[in-house]
Amino acid sequence: MNIDRRIIFVIVALAVAIPLVVPLDLPVAVTDETRAVYDRLEMLDSGSVVLVSFDHEASSLPEVRPLAEAIVNHCFMRKARVIGLALFAEGTAVGYDILNDIAAQQGKVYGHDYVYLGYRPQYTAAILGMGESIREVFPTDYDETPWEEIPLLQGVHNYDDIDLVISVADGSLPTYWVEYAQARYGQEVIAVLTAVMVTAYTPYVDAGQISGILGGLKGAAEYEKLIDRPAAGKRGMDAQALTHLAIAVMIVVGNVIAFGARRKKKTAVAGEHAV
Amino acid sequence: MLRKIPIAVCAVCGVFMAAQYFIISGPVSDLYGAVLDWMQIIFVCALLAGILQVVMSQLKNIARPGSGRVYSSIALAGIAVMVVLGFGWGISRGSPFLWMFDQVQAPMQTTVFSLLAFFVASAAYRGFRARHAESVVLVLAALIILLGRVPLGEMISPLVPQTVGWILDVPAMAAKRAILIGIGLGMTATAIKVIAGMERTYLGGR
Repeated sequence: MNIDRRIIFVIVALAVAIPLVVPLDLPVAVTDETRAVYDRLEMLDSGSVVLVSFDHEASSLPEVRPLAEAIVNHCFMRKARVIGLALFAEGTAVGYDILNDIAAQQGKVYGHDYVYLGYRPQYTAAILGMGESIREVFPTDYDETPWEEIPLLQGVHNYDDIDLVISVADGSLPTYWVEYAQARYGQEVIAVLTAVMVTAYTPYVDAGQISGILGGLKGAAEYEKLIDRPAAGKRGMDAQALTHLAIAVMIVVGNVIAFGARRKKKTAVAGEHAV
Repeated sequence: MLRKIPIAVCAVCGVFMAAQYFIISGPVSDLYGAVLDWMQIIFVCALLAGILQVVMSQLKNIARPGSGRVYSSIALAGIAVMVVLGFGWGISRGSPFLWMFDQVQAPMQTTVFSLLAFFVASAAYRGFRARHAESVVLVLAALIILLGRVPLGEMISPLVPQTVGWILDVPAMAAKRAILIGIGLGMTATAIKVIAGMERTYLGGR
């Protein structure tokens, strides 16, 4: 039986909207995958330099933003110095907003605690170039302030001075970080991904080329729990849970109806043969 | 001759980029740095060519009668507005450029992307039918993953997320690894063929 697709759309819309209006407050269990990323960031010393690359498009913002906010929050909580940049044009404005928002919440000072370098095209050349000299690739920050006028950047030359690279991505950019920054320069990389990308990158974690993966709204909700700052990840997880349940129920109902129809058809055919 | 020169340039660049990985010396590093700079310069030129192409194609649509005119006009207006805002008022926090990005572009893109949830739900209802043994396995895997990747799975039984972990770590991973290894071998073979001048389709020929 084919249900009118508009009915399915209404069910999905309700499953998404209801938990956002009336939070279900479902319990979130932290997975080993997320805890590994948390533990790695917990190991950061005060003053460590973390490079956060916003390698995503605006379309994935509802999933990527909670992840990025959680990870940047933790970096600042560890008193790490954060260098933000973007290797996708659309990630530029998003990264700039996220860094400034979280920094403002935590009372961080631009130029001392964090800096935003902006966007560079041709990510392969940019990643390789930073291995030689980050200043050559980004002579100024996003606001055109020269490199030498930014206190945080003094003493930062290349990957040797970066403790950790975190690629916030919705596509294949972490692959380039692994192939060019990790493989060539030995730079430690963590991937913060949309849920659909997680399976694609798990082999890199097993191979030790990526130190950890934080994936999807589930990862964001778990991370928010670990850093004790519930936010958009937690709220989104309720909506996602109910939507998954709605889809699962629809699959089961669809199969039960189809099974019944097939059985009825078989019985009818058998009856015809008997006659 | 017209084909031999780009093939020779490609071969020299390919061999150099492969060789420089193993050679640590001043002149080689300098040349490598110059190659990286040129990669970005070429990319920016390609970007400009792309913008020009988009503008030309939209202008052609506007010149042609039909409903496409409206959409092409909106597209061109969008490009023009963002260029004027960016160059006129900058791209810093609080600028009209960023406001347009945050309040117009980002919501539009996320809205279009979010529609996927509705189509996936509809497709799942129609597509996941247990007609034979293989499809029963597919349907069961889909149900377990759907429930196991959200807190509901843990609430049903701790076995659900554990099973999800097994599905993702064993069968899904095996398939993913096979694909990755295949891609890696394919990329290596293609690179060797390009450097050796055996693969010439990038020149527009056969």
